[in-house]
Amino acid sequence: MKKDIILQMHKVNKTFDKVQALSNVDFELKHNEILGLLGGNGAGKTTLMNTLYGLYKMDSGKVVMEDKPITILSPKDAIRQGIGMVHQHFLQINNYTVLENIILGSKVARPLSSNYKDETITIKKLCERFGLEINLSSRVEELPMGTRQKVEILKALYRGAKILILDEPTTNLIPQEVDSLFQTLKIMVTEGLSIVFITHKLREVLSICDRITVLREGKNVVSLTRKDASDEMLVRAMVGEGMDLNKSIMFTDRGTRTGTGTNSDVIKLEGLNKINKDMIQELTDVSLAIKSGEIFGVAGVAGNGQRELAEVVMGIQPVSSGALHFNSEEITSLSTKERIARGFVYIPEDRLADGFLNKASIAHNLILGYHHLPPYSKKGIISWKHVKESSKAMISEYQIKTTGPDEIGGNLSGGNIQRVMIARAFSQPSKLMVAHNPTRGLDIPSMDFVYKKMLEHAATGASTLLLSEDLDELLLISDRIAVMYRGKIVGILPKDKFEKYEIGRLMSGYDLESK
Amino acid sequence: MTQIKKFFPYLIAVLAAFLILGIALWVLKFNPLKAYQTLLFTSFRTPNGFIQTLLKWIPLTLVALAFTVPLSSGKFNIGAEGQMLVGAIGAAAVGILGRDLPPALLLPLVILAGMLAGAFWGLIAAWLLYQFNINEILSTVLLNFISFALIDFVATGPWRDPAAGHPTTVPIGEGGFLPMLVKNPPLHSGLIIAIVVAVAIYFFTSKTSAGYELVVTGANPRASKVHGIDIRKMFLFSMVIGAAAAGLAGAIEVSGVHHRLIEGLHSNFPTLGLIIGLMARGKNQVVPFVAFFIAILEVGGSAMQRTIMVPVQIVLIMEALILIFILLADIIKRRQK
Amino acid sequence: MTGLEATITGFLKLTFLSMVPFVLASQGTMLGGRTGVFNVAQEGIMLVGASVGFLVSYMTGSNLLGAVVAMAVGGLFGLLLAYFTTTLKMDQFVVGLALFFIGMGLSSLLPKLAIGITLTPPVIPTLPDVAVPLLNKIPFIGPILFNQNILVYISVLASIGLWYILFHTNMGLRLRSVGENPKAADALGINVVRNRYLTSIVGGMFIGLAGAYLPMVYTGTFTDLMTKGRGWIAIALTFFGGWSPIPILLGSLFFAAIEVLAFRFQVGGSFIPYQFLIMLPYIATIVVMIFSFGKARPPAFLGQNYDRERRTL
Repeated sequence: MKKDIILQMHKVNKTFDKVQALSNVDFELKHNEILGLLGGNGAGKTTLMNTLYGLYKMDSGKVVMEDKPITILSPKDAIRQGIGMVHQHFLQINNYTVLENIILGSKVARPLSSNYKDETITIKKLCERFGLEINLSSRVEELPMGTRQKVEILKALYRGAKILILDEPTTNLIPQEVDSLFQTLKIMVTEGLSIVFITHKLREVLSICDRITVLREGKNVVSLTRKDASDEMLVRAMVGEGMDLNKSIMFTDRGTRTGTGTNSDVIKLEGLNKINKDMIQELTDVSLAIKSGEIFGVAGVAGNGQRELAEVVMGIQPVSSGALHFNSEEITSLSTKERIARGFVYIPEDRLADGFLNKASIAHNLILGYHHLPPYSKKGIISWKHVKESSKAMISEYQIKTTGPDEIGGNLSGGNIQRVMIARAFSQPSKLMVAHNPTRGLDIPSMDFVYKKMLEHAATGASTLLLSEDLDELLLISDRIAVMYRGKIVGILPKDKFEKYEIGRLMSGYDLESK
Repeated sequence: MTQIKKFFPYLIAVLAAFLILGIALWVLKFNPLKAYQTLLFTSFRTPNGFIQTLLKWIPLTLVALAFTVPLSSGKFNIGAEGQMLVGAIGAAAVGILGRDLPPALLLPLVILAGMLAGAFWGLIAAWLLYQFNINEILSTVLLNFISFALIDFVATGPWRDPAAGHPTTVPIGEGGFLPMLVKNPPLHSGLIIAIVVAVAIYFFTSKTSAGYELVVTGANPRASKVHGIDIRKMFLFSMVIGAAAAGLAGAIEVSGVHHRLIEGLHSNFPTLGLIIGLMARGKNQVVPFVAFFIAILEVGGSAMQRTIMVPVQIVLIMEALILIFILLADIIKRRQK
Repeated sequence: MTGLEATITGFLKLTFLSMVPFVLASQGTMLGGRTGVFNVAQEGIMLVGASVGFLVSYMTGSNLLGAVVAMAVGGLFGLLLAYFTTTLKMDQFVVGLALFFIGMGLSSLLPKLAIGITLTPPVIPTLPDVAVPLLNKIPFIGPILFNQNILVYISVLASIGLWYILFHTNMGLRLRSVGENPKAADALGINVVRNRYLTSIVGGMFIGLAGAYLPMVYTGTFTDLMTKGRGWIAIALTFFGGWSPIPILLGSLFFAAIEVLAFRFQVGGSFIPYQFLIMLPYIATIVVMIFSFGKARPPAFLGQNYDRERRTL
């Protein structure tokens, strides 16, 4: 092994149920480098690193660290080998403090008491060394996302990680925090760490990574240095030949659309306030209006009220005060069922938990929410014949790989489950679509497909409320972008005023706080 | 062929349980083969045996449905015992108070009263769930214990039959007796009611829009709520239907078998109902068949105790073993995919 | 001591005596729940603990041995629960119910096999009171708190011990994290499986002991279904106590007080038909649940199995 390589993975194979997630994948990490592991969703990047970290067991393959072959069967082994991982969804105990989360699972000086003085000193020293500032006695659930991420990084550093894996670390960060994270990564590299940066975002990989490895459909595609890489080369590598880049929304200027239909307001939110049962104000004085044919984007860091806004518009949660109007009808007190009947469609953020029936058939899944409406139902009796016909049509249009409408939903692969939910959302005639992070978890061709569908949908005169934590997505297809911060709308920008850092400032409450 | 393939693991499960218990019986110096012969064939040896089996099948099916219908929506109704007893109380009360009414009036009233009383008892637990989010396993079990005290109160109260040694009420009016299908051995028409109810429940859950909502609520409550289904209403609804079925079982026992309220008339039906429901993996359409199998075991079990002195608790343990093995068979099937 | 004092002292002493099965069974439930294992088989485990404890004591003459075997059987049930749910990933409620049936069936079967049917019920000597020297001479409190059978002391000490272990040791920190977020605990190298097995087994032992208490202290013999729902009530008390050892201890005390009160009224005679007094403890439990279900915060992953390789989208 050459002296500058710290870790190698050879011919790794991993199958989940019947899906081959990794096929003979090779991987190489050099000392003191930031290696970008690039690929679309489902490419296998997270799977590969989870295998390295011991959360998954590889079917076959070898791991070699600094010339020595090693076996990793559990996270304990990985930690012992000096490998640390920061997951996309932080693995923290919400009601424990920062200190408790960091020391959890490690050896403590006084195991029979809750005196963590020694450990506190060690952690404070680490914070100084790496420029991280955190209050150790705060409960993790009270901290903002950026700080929680620092806790995750500290967890790895505390355990003496030499290799740090970060899985899509910028998902929940505003542009300013992304810059700060990159600074921290550079410091870590000078302090001797080697970093694997998993991402699907081209721009990030080209700005921070020394080398880039691209995976697609569980296989290696290419590995190159940043100098040798270009936008186009990387896109081709990620997407392969299956997608016509010239016809895509994401990689051409097709995002610009001509006009937004009539200028009438289709849906109006006036002064919405929402206080939850713990007396926390989740939405404050939210007012906005969406025109017909418009895609209205809502930007914001996760947890600033987006979910509450989406659910309030859909009638899943009630407002404490304020009004909603739809085509001049006041709908504030209408149930979700009634709104669906009026043409509201919801693509929830957590599609598996909020949108899918694992144990029921595909047919059951495809009619969820519309089961009581014609043509599926007449006078309360379901016509399964119609349901089956419809299902078969959707299966073929959306290319869902399944044996038929009667197959149990849980049998499908992740990508196909998403297709079922996209099929359901887009095959109903709708007047208002509320989409929350609609492309999260989708591979690149599917993302493009969704954008295409959304543009088609808007072209029919329907409105879309697009809540997304992916700024690039919002910039791509929105006509206007509103920014949410702590449950308030802190700014609404028209298309000609879209600017990333300006939006980032609004997302972090900068304008408000500075006043 | 695939149908048989589907059942094969369950068959193995049943055989395994029989095997293990057979060994236990042999160790305890009983003759396993003779025991099993009695256990399995008593139902078919005489017309009486068969009728006894049917008479047990009726309450078993209803009480099992009382568990599986709420289970479809994801809720565990352990209160069939109390719901059956309260249903019996309701039926007996109406039957005694209206003892002079003609059958055309009294009989439907008695049956209806039983269903409504049982439904009411289930509604209490359902309401506690709806309003206070109280776990229904706990509330239904506690209500069971309350119902024991209640039935004791009724059976030793003003309607008490002074001639009886065991707490029992006076008989209900003859108009409330369920007409007999067969005179000797006695088989009452509760059989027809039970069959109709089982079919109706199956039709409801598989063909109607409301039934769809019930099933889907159990499959993923959160997703159902997000797509417009009122899941809390569904929970309540499913519990009440289940409780009504249990209440009906109680009413049938009063109106068809004993013609009065007897403390303890619920026998071990509710416990077995749970076991049947679990064995049927919650599928309403399978319940009647599993219930028939259990009815055979029950009839055979008491014969076994009478003739060969094998304690009747062995049957309960066997049934629990079969349950465990069936659940295991499911796991193995899942792993094999 | 005046008559009133004697009545109150007697009442309180009986309360402490009666709280033991509730405390033990609830703490056992809590312990398993803290790692996410929701045991609903308590009634069956208590029954089989009572049955086995009684039989062993009857046949060997030693209550201690009976208690130990009852704990072992309870631990075995806990082991089975852990195996079927944690390793085989079966639904926790379903497995719990199945174990409940088995426990119930075994508890009735074993005495029939071991002793058969006798003319007079077989009896064992009940546990004697053990006085704590010096402390039992304190006026009023002495006879109540320090002149009880040994299991009373054990249940109180165990509760305090559990509190300390769970909230003031590293082991407790890790254990609780398994129930709060098993994936996070797993990613930090904590053995989710081992912790779940451990708490299930130890919890089961507590529950088995709770069952054995009934023949050894109350009646001196075993009767079918003698737990009368105490196992289920223990689950409610665990929620009521917010899944924390000390509140559970206090909640059990409160509940035992109601049970004793109802019994006293029954015996003493009152205008209320005695059946309604029998209902009182169960109704009280429901009322208690109404007030606690909103507030009690169980471990976040209570009742959910953990599969390391299960993928979420």
